[in-house]
Amino acid sequence: MTVRSASPGSPAASQPAGQHPAGAAHAASPGPAAPRRRAGRRLRSAATPTRLRVLMIGLLLAALAWGAAGAWTVAQHASAARDVVTTSEPLSLSAQQMYRSLSDADVTATTAFLAGPDVPLAARQRYQADIAQAATDLSALKDAAAPGSGRTLPAGLTTVSTALPVYTGYVAQAQTEYALGYLLTGGSFMQVASEVMHLTLLPAARAVYGQENAGLTAASARATGLPWIAVVLVLAIGIGVVLYRVQRWLWRHSHRVVNYGLVTATAVLAAGALWLAVAFVVARADLQRGVGHGSAPAETLAQAAIDTQQIRGDEILNLISRSGDATFVADFGSVRAQLGPGPGTLLTNAAGSSPAGAGTLWAAAAARDVQPWYAVNDQVYRLDAQARYAQETRLVIGSGPGSSATGFGRVEADLSRAIAADQVIFHADATAGSDAFSGLEAGIIVAALLMALCCAWGLSVRLAEYR
Amino acid sequence: MAQRYRVLLAVAAAVPVMLAAACSSGPGSAQATNEVTAPPASSSGGGIPLTPAAAPQTLSETGSTLLFPLMGAWAAAYHQQHPSVTITTAATGSGTGIKAASAGTASIGASDAYLSSGDLVKNPALLNIPLAVSAQQVNYNLPELPPGVHIKLDGAVLAQMYAGTITTWNDPAIAALNRGVALPSLRVVPLHRSDGSGDTFLFTSYLSTHSAGWNRLIGYGTSVAWPAVPGAQAEQGNAGMVSGCQATPGCVAYVGISYLSRALADRLGEAQLANTLGQYELPTPVTISAAVASFVSATPGNETISMVDGPAAAGYPIVNYEYAIVSVRQPGAAAARDLKAFLHWAITTGNAAQYLGQVRFQPLPGPVVALCDAQIAKIG
Repeated sequence: MTVRSASPGSPAASQPAGQHPAGAAHAASPGPAAPRRRAGRRLRSAATPTRLRVLMIGLLLAALAWGAAGAWTVAQHASAARDVVTTSEPLSLSAQQMYRSLSDADVTATTAFLAGPDVPLAARQRYQADIAQAATDLSALKDAAAPGSGRTLPAGLTTVSTALPVYTGYVAQAQTEYALGYLLTGGSFMQVASEVMHLTLLPAARAVYGQENAGLTAASARATGLPWIAVVLVLAIGIGVVLYRVQRWLWRHSHRVVNYGLVTATAVLAAGALWLAVAFVVARADLQRGVGHGSAPAETLAQAAIDTQQIRGDEILNLISRSGDATFVADFGSVRAQLGPGPGTLLTNAAGSSPAGAGTLWAAAAARDVQPWYAVNDQVYRLDAQARYAQETRLVIGSGPGSSATGFGRVEADLSRAIAADQVIFHADATAGSDAFSGLEAGIIVAALLMALCCAWGLSVRLAEYR
Repeated sequence: MAQRYRVLLAVAAAVPVMLAAACSSGPGSAQATNEVTAPPASSSGGGIPLTPAAAPQTLSETGSTLLFPLMGAWAAAYHQQHPSVTITTAATGSGTGIKAASAGTASIGASDAYLSSGDLVKNPALLNIPLAVSAQQVNYNLPELPPGVHIKLDGAVLAQMYAGTITTWNDPAIAALNRGVALPSLRVVPLHRSDGSGDTFLFTSYLSTHSAGWNRLIGYGTSVAWPAVPGAQAEQGNAGMVSGCQATPGCVAYVGISYLSRALADRLGEAQLANTLGQYELPTPVTISAAVASFVSATPGNETISMVDGPAAAGYPIVNYEYAIVSVRQPGAAAARDLKAFLHWAITTGNAAQYLGQVRFQPLPGPVVALCDAQIAKIG
C-alpha cells in the first residue's frame, strides 16, 4: 500500500531507492573526492535494505520496550493505588482501631472494677467487644504480613500477640477474685493488667499504627510519584521523533508521502501516551485530594483520639494508683496542650481543614466538647492531691452529665464521627484514583503490540520493493 | 526450700543480730568500713551473685518505718559477713522510699505497699521485690480492761470509729462483737499517720473492704482525707503511733507488726480482727502464714498483690509483703552485683527466724522466693 509520489525528474520515480541505475552513478562528475563519494554511495546503496531491516528491528524493539516500560509503570502505579485502597488504608485503620480498642478495654475494665463488685453487664460486654475487635484487627494485620505478601511484619505486632493473652489473663484473674469477694486482690490484679496494657500493649500498638500509617503514606507516594511515568512519556516522545524521522527518510528516499503502517504506529503511540498521561493526572489528582481532604485530617484526628484516650487512661491510672506517689497531672497538661483547641493544636487543625465538611464539623464539636471535660479533669486532679479518693472516683467513673466518663464519651464520639467522615472522603477519592488506571495496563500492552505490528508492516512493504 | 534451710544452718553460726543497736542508731546506722576483701566469685545459678564485688561499696536504704528495724539488723549482719559492703538505713516512710528509689538517690526504697501501676508506668525500671511477710495489728489503750482480753473488732466497726460515728468504747456496735466484756465508756480517739504510709494503705484497704460506706466516702490509699473526728490525732511513723496511743487513753491505732512488742510493752491492747469468713484472729505466725499461703499460687511475676482480707479461714486479715523498691538500672556493675547479692541474701539467709523473729515477720514462701530471684536477676 505504499503510495509512490510523482516526483518529476527524479530517477527514483519509477524505481526503488538504492537501486540506482549504474549509468546514473557513472554520470556524476569525477573529481578529487570522487573515490570516497563512490564508496559512500556504494555503501549507502548497499545499506538501504539493511537500514530498513535495522530500522524495523529497532522500531519493533522500541515499541515493545515502550510497551513493557509503560505496562510496568502502570502496573506499579495501579498496584500502589490499589494498595492504598485495599491494603494500606484498611491496615492503617485496623492499627488505629486496635490501639483504641485496647485502650478502651483497659479503661472499661478498670472503670467497671472501680464501680464495685457488681460489674455492670454493659461494661462487661463493652470490654469483651473491645478485646474481640483488637483481636480481629491484630489478626488482619498479621495476615497482611504473611510470608509471600511482600510486607514486613511490624515488630510491635508480635509484642501485642504475646501480651494480649497475658493482659486478658490478669483481667480474668481480677474478675475471679472479685466474684469470690476478694475485692482488693482483684484490684491488685487489675493494676497488674493495667501495667501490661500501659507498659507493653499500648506502646506496641502505637508503634504498629505508626508503621502502618507510614505504609499508607508510602503507598500514596508510590501511586502519585512522577519519575517512572515521566520516563515512559519521554520515551514515547523519543519514539515518536524516531518514527517521524523514519517517515521523513522514507519520503525522501522513496518519495512515498505516507507510510500507513508508520503513521498508524505513530497514532497508536500518541493515543497510548495520552491515555497514560490523562489517567495518571486524574489518578494523581484523586489520590492527592483523598490524602489532603481525607487521610491527612483523619490522621490528625486519629492522633487527637489517641491523646484523648491517653488523658482518660492516665486519669484512671491516677485514680487506681493509691500506693505510691505517681501523679499524672503533668502528663494531662502536656497532652492537653498538644490536643487543643488552640493555634497549631490537633483539634484546631482538624477543625480548620479545608474544605469544610462533616469531618471538620465533628472536629469543631470535639474542640468545643473537650473544654468542659478538661474542667472536670482539673477538678479530678485537685481532689487527688487532697487524697479525696471517694469524690474523685465518683467524678471519674460516674455517669452523670458532669462526670469525666460522660465528657470523655462525648469527645470520643465526636472524634469517631469526624474520623469516619474523613475516611469516607479518602476512600472515595482513593478508589476513584485507583479506578483511573483501569484497563490502562492492558491498553498499553495492546498499543505497543499494535505499534510493533504497524512498524513491521510499514517497513516490510518497503523492503518487499527491493526483492 | 532446701536451699534456704542450708543457708539457715550456715548462718546459725553467724554473729547474732544486733537489732536493738541497729534500731537505736537511727537513720544511716551501719558503720562504714574500708576493708577490701576478695570474696570468691560465685552465683546462685540464676544469674544472681551470692557474694558482693571485691571493692568497697555502700548501699543506701530508706523508706518504711515498719521495715526499718529489720533492715538495720540485716545491714549489721550483712556487713559482718561481707565487710566490703556497708548498708545505710533510714526510717522515712514508704512514700519517701519509693521516691528515693525512683530518683536513684537510694539503692533500696522500702515500702509496705507494692508499687502502684501509676508508679510503674511512670518509672518502668522499678521492681517491687518482697523481702518478708508482715502484718498490721490494731492497738488500743483501755487501761480498765483486764489483762489477756483482746477486743474483737471488724472493718465495719473500725470504719465507724474512724469516721466518728462510734464515739465511745461501750458503743452497742462494739459491745455486740464483745459479749461478756465490760467495755469502758471512754471516748474513742482514732490515731492515724500524718505521713504517706503503706500502713495507712493497708488499714484503709481493710476498712474499704468491710465498709461500703467507707469505700464510698473515703476510700483507701497511702494518704486519705480522714474524716474530721473530735480528738483524732495524726502521728508520724509507727513509733509515733505507739507512743501517741500510749499517751492517750481511749485511743485506737493501726500499727505495723514489727512494733507489736513495743506496743505490748507500753501496755497497749491488741485487737482480734475479723477476717472474710467472720473469724476473729490475732496476728500470730500461724494466722499470718495461713493468710499468705492462700495467695502464693496466685502471685504474679511482678509480685504485685494485695493480700488483705484473703480467703484463709484461719488467716489474719491484714497481711502484706514488705517490699524492696529497686531500679533495674544501677550506676555500675559493682553496684548492681552488690545489690543483687544483698537482696538474695535478705530473702534467703535474712529470712531466718533469728532475724524475722525479732520483728515478728514471717519468711517468704518458697515459690515467692523463686519469683523474687527472677526479679532480682533483672537488675543490671
